[in-house]
Amino acid sequence: MDLDFLQSLERERVLEVLQRDKQLRLMEEDRIRRMKCELQELRRRGAKSCARQYGERTCARCQRPLGKFWNSGDVCRGCSHRICSKCRVGVGAADWKCTVCHAYRDVKIRSGEWFLEEKFKKFPVTENKYETVGETLLKTYNVLSHISVVPPTPPPHLDQQFLSRSGSLKNSIPFTKSVEDLMVSFTSHMRKISTSQSDVQGGLLYVDGGRKGSCVTFSSQKSLSDTDINKSSRLFKVPSLPNLFKRSKDSDHEGSSTGAEEETSFSSEYSGGKRGSNSSICTDGGRFESIGVAGELELALAYSGDASCLEITVGACRNLSHGDARRRRCHPYVKFYVLPEKSGKMKTTVKKNTTDPVYNEVLKYQIERHLLFGKRLHASVWHSGTLRRKVFLGEILIPLDGWRCEDKASQCFNWYPLCPKAEGPDGGAAEQD
Amino acid sequence: MASSHGIQMASATATYGQKESSDQNFDYMFKILIIGNSSVGKTSFLFRYADDSFTPAFVSTVGIDFKVKTIYRNDKRIKLQIWDTAGQERYRTITTAYYRGAMGFILMYDITNEESFNAVQDWSTQIKTYSWDNAQVLLVGNKCDMEDERVVNGDRGRQLSEHLGFEFFEASAKDNINVKQTFERLVDIICEKMSESLDAGDPAVTGAKQGPQLTEQPAPPHQDCAC
Repeated sequence: MDLDFLQSLERERVLEVLQRDKQLRLMEEDRIRRMKCELQELRRRGAKSCARQYGERTCARCQRPLGKFWNSGDVCRGCSHRICSKCRVGVGAADWKCTVCHAYRDVKIRSGEWFLEEKFKKFPVTENKYETVGETLLKTYNVLSHISVVPPTPPPHLDQQFLSRSGSLKNSIPFTKSVEDLMVSFTSHMRKISTSQSDVQGGLLYVDGGRKGSCVTFSSQKSLSDTDINKSSRLFKVPSLPNLFKRSKDSDHEGSSTGAEEETSFSSEYSGGKRGSNSSICTDGGRFESIGVAGELELALAYSGDASCLEITVGACRNLSHGDARRRRCHPYVKFYVLPEKSGKMKTTVKKNTTDPVYNEVLKYQIERHLLFGKRLHASVWHSGTLRRKVFLGEILIPLDGWRCEDKASQCFNWYPLCPKAEGPDGGAAEQD
Repeated sequence: MASSHGIQMASATATYGQKESSDQNFDYMFKILIIGNSSVGKTSFLFRYADDSFTPAFVSTVGIDFKVKTIYRNDKRIKLQIWDTAGQERYRTITTAYYRGAMGFILMYDITNEESFNAVQDWSTQIKTYSWDNAQVLLVGNKCDMEDERVVNGDRGRQLSEHLGFEFFEASAKDNINVKQTFERLVDIICEKMSESLDAGDPAVTGAKQGPQLTEQPAPPHQDCAC
């Protein structure tokens, strides 16, 4: 399906709706990402460490010893680990779950993941033609909405009721002949979209080349539009039980199992689902432990309209892992990129011998405000070791869409929990340099 | 289940709330789709609910549209993304593409329009085809303020809804009758489905550890036997 059957004004109208939907979805992704980070934090605290014997005699959450007869703990229905009476949360009248299983369930509700699972039962991955349509529409949108901002001409024929129905429609009114021409040329490119993604990108760039603006924006927005629900349902194709087994075995082997099986399934599902998108951040527990990501990064973001640049104020880090665990050393610095094109690399200074470095440095990134849409700020913390060896200490991704820059909350300092390295091709842009 | 989680979740979101814009100040998001024949009043229904406004003029919806409203229900802040769809056949390819993402549906007909009522069955089939298996549907007979022009009486609506397994409301976007109630009821039944889904999902998820669980679980019954 394409949008050929719509008249150009209709098309613009639909795309305007899709644009709002996308913004909502990006925000939602961000919210879910934070939720997952908090869950991960909780899991980390409750993790069984390598030093400890995997036994029945300690509570799997707080790791306090359990007695043989009194305070012997009980088995959580969720994760089947022995849990002391303090690490339980009541569910219903008599039932309970351990803190981690409870938090997991909670996240499942709040992230809407329960629905994705249900949906997958009916729509296994193979059947995703409608979502492809959605993606296609969004890609169309990316081009057109950007263009429609450029020529601010008065509205052409458009009946009054149409206007009164939606104030935001005003954005889509500027609609010149040239845009219509573009639309025609675009729709011819649309046909290629179904064949391959690179075609799409080529097509978009081509269209854009005819106008002013940055090619980069389009390619970036394309990748952002890949975050449909269906994408995330694709991951459920993986038979979850065997997968779970494998994963829990692996992590047990590493001695870093957090115990709750469902958590593992959660993170695997999620990291899978996000892998195609830029918001891929928290990956599965095994990897998480192996690189020992810990701590938080303090940032404040502001957009300076006068200088048209993004100002990133790096406050501090706290509770970082030791980059050199053996000698318990850490010389941390923070590095920034703007994703998805990985532009504008910026670094703070290196602070010596501390896991709580204080920077108070301001880094500036020149960018037009409207180009921020769809961009993400990638911040990673590294240990600068001997012989230029770099050790990854954690990363965060922050969407730079307009809503966030206007957001008073993000203009003051926020502590962001560091996440393990994302594995996605476009999300995990944190290779060593 | 929902209420027992209330305190826990409220505190969790309080910490989120400090960090984030008010936009994200909610516990979870539901997606709802309004469907039905053209001109039964889907858009008016949504505008009444989301903006508390009503315009008698008829403006045909182009393809799809949505509005967002956050409500407080069962100790939770629930953000609703309510999709309004075009009733016209020519947009069907776009609208059906959005069925799959919807947790619940409002299937609407116009009590003054027999044809719109006759089409309910077809809409219901569309839901079954394009949506998830547990899609929650409310059947709504709109324009119940226009009693003089009524051609579909309430009992027929009720019977059909029972036949289809949906809950039923007669409503009026114009006079603001049963609009809020419809959405709130739909949210409630989605919540119920959510709990069911999670509780049913639990054993499946923990299935990987079925072994230890099986050996541990018989413990409580044992104690009962000992008495």
